[in-house]
Amino acid sequence: MVTADRLDELQMEPEAPELDLSWLNLDTEWGVVSEPGRKGLTLQQINKSIYGEIPATSEDSSARPRGAAAPEGATPRMTPWVLGDATETFSDSAALLYDEAVSRQWSSATDIPWDTLDELPEDIERAMVQLCTSLTEVEFIAGDVPGKWLPRIAADHYESGLFLMSQVMDEARHTDVFRKRALANGGGLLLQGGGGGLRQILEAEDFTQMSSMLHILGEGFVQSLFRLGELIAHNEAEKRIFRLAAQDESRHVAYGVTHLKYTLEHEPEKAEEVHWTLDMFEDTLVDPDQANPGLAGALVYLLGDGDVDEGWRLFWHVRRKQVLEYLHRLDVAGLGGRLETGRLHPALAGALDEN
Amino acid sequence: MPDNDVIAAAKERLEQSGLPSTWLDIPVHWGVKAKEQATAENGGLRFQMLNVDVYGEVPEFWDNNTEIPRGAVPDTRTEQMGYSIFNKAEVWSDLCAELYEDAIADRWNSSSDVPWDSLEPIGADLERAVCQIATMMSEYGWTKAQTTGRWLQEISYGYIEVKLFLGTVVFDAARLFEVWRKRALANGGGLGRGGRNWKFLPLTQSYTFSEFCVASIMHDSMLLALLRRGEQLAQTEAERSIYRLCERDIERHLTYFVDHMRYLMLKEPVRREEIHRYMNKAEWYLAKDGDDTLYSAVAVIMGDGREGAQEAMADVAELRQEQIETYLGYLRQCHLADREDRLNLELRKWAGMVEPEAEEKIPV
Repeated sequence: MVTADRLDELQMEPEAPELDLSWLNLDTEWGVVSEPGRKGLTLQQINKSIYGEIPATSEDSSARPRGAAAPEGATPRMTPWVLGDATETFSDSAALLYDEAVSRQWSSATDIPWDTLDELPEDIERAMVQLCTSLTEVEFIAGDVPGKWLPRIAADHYESGLFLMSQVMDEARHTDVFRKRALANGGGLLLQGGGGGLRQILEAEDFTQMSSMLHILGEGFVQSLFRLGELIAHNEAEKRIFRLAAQDESRHVAYGVTHLKYTLEHEPEKAEEVHWTLDMFEDTLVDPDQANPGLAGALVYLLGDGDVDEGWRLFWHVRRKQVLEYLHRLDVAGLGGRLETGRLHPALAGALDEN
Repeated sequence: MPDNDVIAAAKERLEQSGLPSTWLDIPVHWGVKAKEQATAENGGLRFQMLNVDVYGEVPEFWDNNTEIPRGAVPDTRTEQMGYSIFNKAEVWSDLCAELYEDAIADRWNSSSDVPWDSLEPIGADLERAVCQIATMMSEYGWTKAQTTGRWLQEISYGYIEVKLFLGTVVFDAARLFEVWRKRALANGGGLGRGGRNWKFLPLTQSYTFSEFCVASIMHDSMLLALLRRGEQLAQTEAERSIYRLCERDIERHLTYFVDHMRYLMLKEPVRREEIHRYMNKAEWYLAKDGDDTLYSAVAVIMGDGREGAQEAMADVAELRQEQIETYLGYLRQCHLADREDRLNLELRKWAGMVEPEAEEKIPV
């Protein structure tokens, strides 16, 4: 038998690591102090001295935080390639938007007054769950996309990385809350949406092109719709869902607009590439063959509360607002003129016609 | 039961207007009312409550490569979206949905939930040591977010609960990155030296999700044991709070990774040797990384300055032993207790374990 004493005899002392104090004498910047402000200690407040200097290009594919000293000895390449030019991913607002995302997290379990969901007429309940089926799909892809890009963001441009990480979280919650609404009140999930341009966003191999499609056009349209959630909602729970989701979408749209602005200010020649991307994506969005058969019908039905003519009238009101806000965002980003030059897809331009 | 007259009238109105009405023909699994289970006492409407009827049937194999929600009716025109994981055993844990809601309920804000005003001057050596630890914590947070995030595009909607939970892991890892960066830049120090980080390669290079999971179990265990020393290492209330909050997040991540591996070992025991190979690799990189900067910084704190650091190395050795024991403890929970006998030889030394040759000589 092996006794406990015998085992103790064989147990060794744990081996200690080598003591290396060379890091105590680094040449990094000393004396940086950041005081918390009204909102606490935000990223904005720590972005000072060398730590706040954003390199225009970064060739560092490691996880080394911006401003840290390089390690001694050989280091591995952590990712096959990074988007090293700031123009490829950066946004001046990314840090602010990340801070805001963290402070505005909400819970679909407890922040939605689910007890206000009363029994709805069956046609309305069906229309609502059809809309939610389409939305949970869209949000699902919207979470996959930033996940795909995360390994390509340089740690030197960490603000954009953090923003995309917060977007992953937001989209998880949106996927979840629309699924919850579909299954909360006696309805269920209905018809899949049929793609509708989601694949183009996923397959983009240029970050700015992806962001123009996802953040500016796709999420922009969704945000305009959510902001009119009062027209669709039938109870306080649904109103709250649209309001909270719209708040999140606003951040995503703001990132897309400010990223594009940054890119075009530094690389104006990229404008045509983005125009071309939007030509393609607008075309997909209005292509009847790509259209989501459930989404349009359910939306019109909900907007008119079962009165389809009234629903159509309000649908065009929503679409007009979506297009106007889209054009305004492009203007702010420095990509104005799509309407004036006839480049905006005719089906979208037609939505601006008051009649 | 559905009211056929109401639906027929709705269809007619839509069709007269030229709108598609096929969505009204879908055979709905009518009557699922998850809201009825939601009360303030049981945490509101939690995701797990949706898992009833067809919506709760998580298939062993998911055969749809689009973004179709589980339980919805497919539109066969939809393009494939490039997912690669359709096998429940590869990602599943029964705890995902609950852990997802727990993560949201436990959310915290590094700007306002850490008492930054409790920071005070602590002496140059200690400040440098804290900042060196902070630098390396940040690096791990960044790596963890990047490497977790890349799996999202691989996992199909059939296992939606897993993806939702991984979304929280990415977000928690973002906070791990930035809260330590804030600590480094808040109190007069600054960032220290980046790590060599060969040890993270098994996370970035993994070809299968389960390979990523076992590498995560190893790294998260190492981190957790360090975070659990927070009371000893923290110099101020701000740091104590950071250690505590990060510890809670990492424990949640480990709960998922471990429960998933337990599930995989039960469902696909034939993969045991394959999984051991991934552990061989992860442990080898950890052992050979050869960067003792983190432990040296810990020693400076434990020794209350550089003069006491050498003497504190015995305590640091104990910490490293705890790290390995934490790792092996989690592996025991996922039916991988045999790892103890196969642990990398260098790591056995870290843990003060009997060498295999010596074990063989034990008289029985």
